[in-house]
Amino acid sequence: MTTEPVTAEELRETIARQFGRSLHIRTLDTGSCAVCEQEIRLLAAPHYDLHRLGFFFTPAPRHADLLLVTGPMIRAFEVAARKTYDAMPGPRVVVATGACALGGVYPEDPFTNGNAGAVLPVDVWIPGCPPSPLALLHGLGVAVGRLAEKVRDRSFIAPLYPERAVGDS
Amino acid sequence: MTLWFIRGIRRGVVTTRYPARPDASAIDLPTPPAFRPRELTRQVADGVVAVCPSSALRRDGDVLVYDVGACTACGRCAAVAPRAVTSSGEFELAATGRSVLIKRIPIGEEAP
Repeated sequence: MTTEPVTAEELRETIARQFGRSLHIRTLDTGSCAVCEQEIRLLAAPHYDLHRLGFFFTPAPRHADLLLVTGPMIRAFEVAARKTYDAMPGPRVVVATGACALGGVYPEDPFTNGNAGAVLPVDVWIPGCPPSPLALLHGLGVAVGRLAEKVRDRSFIAPLYPERAVGDS
Repeated sequence: MTLWFIRGIRRGVVTTRYPARPDASAIDLPTPPAFRPRELTRQVADGVVAVCPSSALRRDGDVLVYDVGACTACGRCAAVAPRAVTSSGEFELAATGRSVLIKRIPIGEEAP
């Protein structure tokens, strides 16, 4: 077990090399409304079939390589979240899942830490409320370095009425 | 029995091919909004910021600051300003940095 901090790039290279097709996920609910959990449960269903990609769920943090954090990191769960992270062997990846964990829904609430990054060193952020199973698959792919991150290049500026130009024939 | 087995293997596959190929159900997903800067005025931007329930939007002078990570894709901004706000149709939003998800939309300019 290594505890020295490494950069996210090094971490992804190590994960891709060592856990190419066998990466175990521990989900951590830090006060979410359970819709994120429902979407995560759907990943194991036949339609999405997470296991074909080499991801598996594990109930024990000591067997986990990836920590999937949902919820706004309520203060009551802070110690348990730290202990879960410390129990994981390195190299390890933390993925914050959903708008709560990204600080969108309860940013100023006194009972929460606002976002998962306030307590844990988050490597990948997956937006969405809840993130769909497809978005979660893409996020897991980004976390292990198999899929490219696309949102960096997207401006969220829409062209002015492209549908009118198309339909004018 | 053998025929049934072969037919089931051929036609009974429900699993998506998603990372390798696009998934057909992706068009039904609620996706975060995209903005038309030409249709945005300061009043429209303030109206959009006022209805946002998850602090994803704020106005900074002539720039609409849009936090994709905080957005819940509820569609209230599109309901208030249907000409200025449209659906982006993007669901592959995972980022390795939190600041990558914060977008700056210029108000009242031509789209590039």
